[in-house]
Amino acid sequence: MITFERVTKRYADGTLAVDALDLEVPAGQTMVLVGPSGCGKTTSLRMINRLIEPSEGRILLDGKDVRQQDPSRLRRGIGYVIQQAGLFPHRTVQDNIATVPVLNGWRRARARSRARELLALVGLDASLATRYPHQLSGGQQQRVGVARALAADPPVLLMDEPFSAVDPVVRTALQDQLLALQADLHKTIVLVTHDIEEAIRLGDQVALFRPHGTVAQSGAPERLLAVPADDYVAGFVGFDRGIRRLSFFGTGDLPLEAAPVIDAAATVADARAATQATGRPWLLVTADGQPAGWISAQRLAGLDLAAPLASVPADPFGHAFTAGTDTLRAALDAAVLSPAGLGIAVDDGGQVLGVASFDQIRAAIAASAADADSVAAARAAADQAEQATPAAAEVPQGSEVPQASA
Amino acid sequence: MTWSWIGSNGPLIWQLTRENMYLGIVPALIGLVIALPIGIMAARWRWFYPPTLTAINVIYAIPSLALFIALIPAFGLTDTNVVIALTVFSLCVIMPNVVTGVRSVPDNVRQAATAMGYGPLRRLVTVELPLAAPVIIGGLRVGVVSGISLASVGQLIGVSSLGYLFIDGLQRSFPTEIYVGLVLIIVLALACDLILVAFRRAVTPWAVRT
Repeated sequence: MITFERVTKRYADGTLAVDALDLEVPAGQTMVLVGPSGCGKTTSLRMINRLIEPSEGRILLDGKDVRQQDPSRLRRGIGYVIQQAGLFPHRTVQDNIATVPVLNGWRRARARSRARELLALVGLDASLATRYPHQLSGGQQQRVGVARALAADPPVLLMDEPFSAVDPVVRTALQDQLLALQADLHKTIVLVTHDIEEAIRLGDQVALFRPHGTVAQSGAPERLLAVPADDYVAGFVGFDRGIRRLSFFGTGDLPLEAAPVIDAAATVADARAATQATGRPWLLVTADGQPAGWISAQRLAGLDLAAPLASVPADPFGHAFTAGTDTLRAALDAAVLSPAGLGIAVDDGGQVLGVASFDQIRAAIAASAADADSVAAARAAADQAEQATPAAAEVPQGSEVPQASA
Repeated sequence: MTWSWIGSNGPLIWQLTRENMYLGIVPALIGLVIALPIGIMAARWRWFYPPTLTAINVIYAIPSLALFIALIPAFGLTDTNVVIALTVFSLCVIMPNVVTGVRSVPDNVRQAATAMGYGPLRRLVTVELPLAAPVIIGGLRVGVVSGISLASVGQLIGVSSLGYLFIDGLQRSFPTEIYVGLVLIIVLALACDLILVAFRRAVTPWAVRT
């Protein structure tokens, strides 16, 4: 756990970079510091491993003040990833990764074999081990940067705009990889970015900074989208925060309708009967259980009743969402793209499970939002109780001890 | 051009070449050793560089012959005199390259090294100097080549080098000697330069070839 206690950084010219910052980064979680340039987010990050020293206040790493520790030793226990990777140009990929183990006194052979393990962990081919950084693409360099930070298996990882210098496709791939790694490794990560999308995607917690080093709001990213503390936060998270918040809501409870779905082997007559039964003007045609396209009641008019649906031209269906895995954002998007206004739900194998209407999606959104709000309210109440009555909480605990031992 | 002269004076030519090579290389290496700490300090402390650079330019403006003569009271008409003077000149050429080389280390690389847990000295020796090596070796090349060329001037105060062939050739109105001296100095300079290029390639296999 990393704790900022009233941390202030004032530069010699009087600039206030960070102003009495209180922040707690829970162990095993990803805390994203986000904000415009000059908001003190990077300064805050660099004070953790003492690249910058605070003017006032203190930073505790697992309860110990970082300033009581030898800087080099402290830093070897904290992984560090920076923009454009900052790899050592004169060392091969494996020796770059082996940096901290070698500093810690490992033999070169052992450090290199550890480096090769990490190369695989970050999804790079072993053949890259003996290349030099300039022979790698930007995305590959950044992966090596992550591998280097993880080499000595530090419990804490600091990431300073790690993915901002690569193109959007590579960035998404790197973000996915970080999420996958974190699901296995449970590091305490502090990540700095100016990209609110990235913050929302990667953070378990997000701290949104105002210019001059104060936190405007911190909490779960879903909360920042749901209840921005003020206009500044609302402006920073973006006008479509309502839509983006949906990416925190699952589709597991979304009710699905099977009625407007019909197999391509059925006839035009079957289809007409189905449209009359559902009262909906659109039918989803499936082939081998997979979505093939939409057919409207209008198009069925005047066709040979015995003709198979496979012979009728269908409208494209856009994309389907995977029920349970994808979020309500994907479900809503699928419904928006469908000419019928119905999102197609498929299982992991791509087989159609049913369709969801706007109304059903809206109801699911309302239910999920209410759940999220009540969980947040309960947590806030618990926090308040904990802060308000620390002394009162100790009394019953104290009185329980003799009972337990008796 | 009297070709037979070359054949009959082989041992003399070889001796002069060796002496010239010594006067070209040794001062450059001593200059490098002195330029490193001064250059590193100048790269680290901004205020230190401008006065140092001015001092160096003033020294470099001194004609070599004047410096040789100025050193006579202390060192006489000796090799030491010429070695010291040429060391000063090579120092002037190499030092700015040390500063440029150390300053050319990318900020994010330096920062990454610190954040990985390098102490200042270890970072300097294992990260910054290796990265500055191509530029420093570039300065060394100029130092060696100009040292080989300037060494011949030392002949004027009696310190033996290929410069002997110029003076002797002039006094005897015998151009062959002058041509031989000139060609040998150029060949010597080129050979040393090529060796240094090969050395740079060997120690910086990571550098991007341009």
